Amino acid sequence: MGDYRELWRSLEMDLEKHDLLCEALPPLYEGVYLSQENRPQGMSYFNFVVSEVHGLRIQELKEHKEKGGKVLGTFCLYVPDEIINAAGAIGVGLCGGSQFWVPDGEKVLPRNMCPLIKAFVGAKVGRTCPYFQSCDMLVGETTCDGKKKAWEILNEYTPTHVMELPQMKRDADFSLWFQEVKRFKEKLEELTGNKIDGEKLSDSINLINQKRKALKRLYETRKADPVPISGKDALLISQIAFYDDIERFTAKVNELCDELEERVEKGIGVFPKGAPRIMVTGSPMAIPNWKLHHIIEESGAAVVCEETCTGTRYFEKMVEPQGDTERDFLEAIAKRYFNINCACFTPNDQRIDDIIRLAKEYKVDGVIYYNLQFCTTYAVEYGRVEKALKNAGIPLLYIETDYGNEDVGQIKTRIDAFLEMIR
Amino acid sequence: MKECYILFPNHGEGLRLEENLKTYGINYVIVPTPRELSLSCGISIKISLNDRDRVEELIKEKDIRILGIHELDKKNKDIKFI
Repeated sequence: MGDYRELWRSLEMDLEKHDLLCEALPPLYEGVYLSQENRPQGMSYFNFVVSEVHGLRIQELKEHKEKGGKVLGTFCLYVPDEIINAAGAIGVGLCGGSQFWVPDGEKVLPRNMCPLIKAFVGAKVGRTCPYFQSCDMLVGETTCDGKKKAWEILNEYTPTHVMELPQMKRDADFSLWFQEVKRFKEKLEELTGNKIDGEKLSDSINLINQKRKALKRLYETRKADPVPISGKDALLISQIAFYDDIERFTAKVNELCDELEERVEKGIGVFPKGAPRIMVTGSPMAIPNWKLHHIIEESGAAVVCEETCTGTRYFEKMVEPQGDTERDFLEAIAKRYFNINCACFTPNDQRIDDIIRLAKEYKVDGVIYYNLQFCTTYAVEYGRVEKALKNAGIPLLYIETDYGNEDVGQIKTRIDAFLEMIR
Repeated sequence: MKECYILFPNHGEGLRLEENLKTYGINYVIVPTPRELSLSCGISIKISLNDRDRVEELIKEKDIRILGIHELDKKNKDIKFI
């Protein structure tokens, strides 16, 4: 329980305001996470990471910077981690999952925007996120109109590099994306002074594939009934994947998986066998957004899969080079990221195929479509998903919400009714 | 219900105690330090009140530096999302 105030002061944070966040997080974490029965012992490490979320990891970033390393802040799955790592830099997914940051965001953004964007801009403007304060450069992308324009604001605070993500999946679009990936590599070489060669790319691809495989292994255990780990614990692990040390994280997830696989073998679960199994699909859930999972699991259903950016989209596809030249590696990286199925693409039929495939693989009883308020692409895509799931005979519930507490009771009533229907 | 929290000068001492608790099979949970106990943030270790004497002995024996052991009455508060 180190005293990190000096560290935060050195990052020019607003200590008084940040203190309010430090006050609110422990009771929320205790209420949502530590109240669970029969939690796997391997979650101890993740308790540790959350407890030290604004402490130890920030200290590590500082030490990295003191040795001349760079820290990059990212907001999206499309930013290739392999290239950041190959440049000897550390990438961190930035704060954006709390109502706490929204009022500061609304000072510079219209109110009718998604809470994720308002929160991450607010975290920077208000100087209340030590990750933001540690970044030498931010990396944006053009996945939605709100984010696209937010980079212009953030660039006034921290240099922001924007990758243009095409929004169709034709050959010409891939060519453009490949150029963007190359441009990103050159930008990082310039920022860090480190040349990124084929060997470094190859090592990074292996390292990050290992991380994705560990998450895949974790998700495999969630296919069991009874499920050996709660959905909210799995969500937490996905959220932590965005900012923890890659090797340590991979080792700890694998350690947890040993325990979970043993549980599956012995038929030990955190919900009774036969409890309703739910898949969540839709908008991303940045830490500490645990609202929907908590409500679902308090109602007695288990969340067994997330088809979201903080779920399967993060780890399902591996980077698979077809040769061993630098170009082969870059092409494989570009391809892996380009094939993620986000609602910013049109058309986006592959996402619908993914949802139906995952619903079957995880033997779900129902799907909850989670839409962050004002997240237009996901909100519009709901109509097509609804039709497809109806045809496939999979029950579906649409929940649109933000990070606040006002609608918790109402969402709970709707989820209870949904569970009643599918039980 | 009263619960027992152990606070540390740094996370390293906390992890040392964790290793020992694991070895001796004593149940524990790593938790964010409750604000009632300290304004600093970071980890604490929560143990059962029944294990308190045993853990105190272990702390002495292994020479683990701690900031204190506190008993806290945790009321079931409504969860407030942030």
